Amino acid sequence: MIPSSLVPRGPGRSVLRLHRAALWTWLSLVAATSAALLWAYGPGHESALADALRQCPDGIALCDRTSGPWIGRYDTVSALGTIGVAHLSFLVAGWAGAALVGRELENGTAHLAWTQSVSPARWLAAELAVPALFVSAGTTVLVLLHRLMRDGGRDLAWASWYEYDVFRADGPVAVAYALCGLALGALAGLVVGRALPALGVALAAQLAVVVLGNEYRPKLWPVVSVTGTGSVDVPSGAAHLHQGVITAGGARRATSVPCDFADGPNGANGVRCGAEDGASGVWATYHPESHFRPLQLVETGAVLAVAALAVAAAFLLLRRRTAAASPPAAAGRAPGSVPADGSATGASV
Amino acid sequence: MSEETAALKAVGLGLRYRRRRGHVLRDCSFRLPAGRVCALVGPNGAGKSTLLSLAAGLIRPTEGTVHVLGTGPAEARERFAYVAQDKPLPPQLTVAGTLRLGADLNRARWDAAAAGRIAYAHHAPDGDRSGSLDPGARIRSLSGGQRTRVALALAFGKRPELMLLDEPMADLDPLARRELLGALMGEAAEHGTTIVLSSHIVTELDGACDHLLLMGGGRVRLAGDPEELVAAHTLLTGPARDLTGHTVVESRGTDRQLTALVRPGGPPGDDWRTAAPSLEEVLLAHLRNPGAPDLVTEGTVNP
Amino acid sequence: MSAATAGDTPGGAAGRSAGTPRAGEAGEAGGAAEARTAKEAAREGAGSDRSPEGGRTGGRARPGVAVLRLHRTALLVWGGYVLAAVAVLVWTVTVTADAALREQARCVGEPVCGIAATLAYGDRIGMVATAVCYGFLVVAAFAGGALFGRELENGTAHLVWTQSVSPARWLAAELAVAALPLLLGSAVLVLSFRWAWSAHRELLGTDWTFADVFVARGPATAAYCLCALAVGALAAVVLRRALPALGVSVASVLALNLVLDGFRPSLWPHVTRTARTPFEVSGSAWQIENGAVVGGRRTAELGPHLCDGTAAEVRRCMAEGDITGYYAAYHPPSHFWPLHLAETGIVLAVAALATGAAFLLLRHRTA
Repeated sequence: MIPSSLVPRGPGRSVLRLHRAALWTWLSLVAATSAALLWAYGPGHESALADALRQCPDGIALCDRTSGPWIGRYDTVSALGTIGVAHLSFLVAGWAGAALVGRELENGTAHLAWTQSVSPARWLAAELAVPALFVSAGTTVLVLLHRLMRDGGRDLAWASWYEYDVFRADGPVAVAYALCGLALGALAGLVVGRALPALGVALAAQLAVVVLGNEYRPKLWPVVSVTGTGSVDVPSGAAHLHQGVITAGGARRATSVPCDFADGPNGANGVRCGAEDGASGVWATYHPESHFRPLQLVETGAVLAVAALAVAAAFLLLRRRTAAASPPAAAGRAPGSVPADGSATGASV
Repeated sequence: MSEETAALKAVGLGLRYRRRRGHVLRDCSFRLPAGRVCALVGPNGAGKSTLLSLAAGLIRPTEGTVHVLGTGPAEARERFAYVAQDKPLPPQLTVAGTLRLGADLNRARWDAAAAGRIAYAHHAPDGDRSGSLDPGARIRSLSGGQRTRVALALAFGKRPELMLLDEPMADLDPLARRELLGALMGEAAEHGTTIVLSSHIVTELDGACDHLLLMGGGRVRLAGDPEELVAAHTLLTGPARDLTGHTVVESRGTDRQLTALVRPGGPPGDDWRTAAPSLEEVLLAHLRNPGAPDLVTEGTVNP
Repeated sequence: MSAATAGDTPGGAAGRSAGTPRAGEAGEAGGAAEARTAKEAAREGAGSDRSPEGGRTGGRARPGVAVLRLHRTALLVWGGYVLAAVAVLVWTVTVTADAALREQARCVGEPVCGIAATLAYGDRIGMVATAVCYGFLVVAAFAGGALFGRELENGTAHLVWTQSVSPARWLAAELAVAALPLLLGSAVLVLSFRWAWSAHRELLGTDWTFADVFVARGPATAAYCLCALAVGALAAVVLRRALPALGVSVASVLALNLVLDGFRPSLWPHVTRTARTPFEVSGSAWQIENGAVVGGRRTAELGPHLCDGTAAEVRRCMAEGDITGYYAAYHPPSHFWPLHLAETGIVLAVAALATGAAFLLLRHRTA
């Protein structure tokens, strides 16, 4: 069943028509990335595994040295695939700021649309909805293929689930970031009104959101906290966050490396850590791998909230600007006996 | 000598885009003597802008040649000025900065006073100077008409021997149009500058020009002195009858009554009432009838 | 020259009525009156303003000055970026290195030791390395988008070409005026990065083989910038639209960089060392491949640790597997310059090709 909303009508169709080149670029990008991910999932992984097994006939898990031509290729392709999916949102943001909204405002195509039977708000809605559809669909496909690649390649993967790029490429947050890029790009395009500066602003805004996301990700779900006397037990595969000692008074003091960092038997160094002020034990916090899903969902929500705010701001801005019937105030510097002609001064929206 | 050197001469000039069907410009041959003020008229899409771009050397013809001031467009670059239809200007510069740009790019010829007069001086009957431009205003903040003024200032500052102006009037109010026409006439009278200005409004140039090029469908339909062109045509009204001997541009009418615009091949018969057409009637008749033969009055095609 | 030049100078007009008010202010509307005032204005303007004669002694056009006028903001941004990068390096090396060094000294012999200052030091140097190496992506975006693409799209290029500057000369001016600050800035960036990177190697986790460090330590940085400029110009001349040219030029130079990154070790013959017993090449070498020599053939799939145990056990194991020795293919650190210069040469060749293609295409299109 195809929802009727998938067949765009009116302004939606004109958005598609105006940005046909972008649509084809997007489709070929998704296709190329999909092909790379599928290669890494199937034949690439197979050849790399064969490479590895030749060196470690007893099993890869017991082997500390795996290298070879196919392993190198597999590593490169899977890493590039992860980087690509993780950074798609920047492409979307830049495109939305520059080509989708900025250029239309700059060269007056937007005004053209507004003077057809399409209100500015409906224009913006179509500008956002149609790309959102394609962006979500394409990103979803890539995320699914990326998961497939990572699940199939656990034996050879060296990147952990909590690494910045892997996390952003391996779940619904990828779609959320892409939509956020679309919204921020559209807002930047509306605010700046010129294609190339809007491109820069959109990229900077998206970069800020992504950096903040990376920074605050561990705080989005309650961490697991463990204590011990000499050492703590952090399960393998967990994202280790903080650690420290518990003072005699019961207060927790953070240290920059785990007290059981060294190879000494039974946390020999934990004793040293604690010895500083008579500590009674050590503590550590971490996110186990099972937190992947809740972390993804909470971050998806947060990023979508940012996107929603940006969309709301864009609509508000558009309404304020187009409701004002007077000639654009931005054009203010030149007093003109020649009446300012909106369509001719397209740049100064 | 300047009588012999054409300001603009086209021989079999044509342009076609590879992937689009047909010619944008086809087999254009004409000669514009130096010192004339030439109106380049024709409907939208007639090839006016293409002809001017070719003359300005911005694109290369696929057929034929265009001579500008007796040489190729590239060699004549310093001696002609060109103002494009959409008046492109660097949006980030100020008005004064744009004029300085002109000075940098035309060091051999630049006349700051001539440019400044067009940009800053505004003639209004009541001394209202609101139309003159603020030198510090950014191009991006200007209206279409104000931008046209800056673009024209660049053209005047170059002190060219030939001005190629594509739709220079389109954005101007009636007062500014008269002002511009006056400045152009003054330039032509003072310096012998040849001026080619395109327009799709015939009447706005009537009386200001001593040469006319009518374009239609990528061809030159009429070329020559407007008075000669008009004089070459007669408006005949009479009972429907054979018009052999005359070149018929257009004929309309009923079974009994016929009105025709012809180039007479001899004295018309007695039963025709004759009248002199207006320039506009001649032009429109040619535009309505793409099949009518072209007319290039003597002296405009180089022997 | 045609005789029409006779009319283009208001002969003897200069110097007349210097003190009169500008005709433009006193004029009135009306066609005939306009024509007259314009005539007078031509004379008076010539006297009261800079004389046209004075203006004409200037000689050739100065497209370079015009390019600077048009792209002043970009120049300031580039200058600011170079200064900021140098400032970060100087501050990192002169101010923050002490804390990291103290930390390292304190950590000697300590199994547990916080190295936050060392990590921060390495992060900052690494950040600058990334910025210096991949700055060419921004250059490509600027060249394809703002410098050439936008001018061709909005017609500013046509405006310039119909002044006294030919399209080829304008392209040359834009390329030259952009290339000069790029070269200067790259030189400053590379020299400061070389200094900063080698100041306290013991605090850094990177070595000379890291992609960004490799590029940022020599003229390849400048070569990539020039190549991005040329590719941007070509993309813009081909596409004549700002945003598509921006996308294509960024994608092209990124692809070039990725390809060269992949082939980097092959750009200069590597050293191969063989021995009867397993060995490790120096830690500062760039190891490409190593393995065992089996039956006279080098096989990368077999590692050097196949045979362990006592000397006799190792001998028997080697004999069983027909292993006659071990080998390693690597680039010693002394190969940095030949490798680096080979890459620089390739990138410059691409830049030259792109520049030539842009000029050819431009000439083909315009008269």
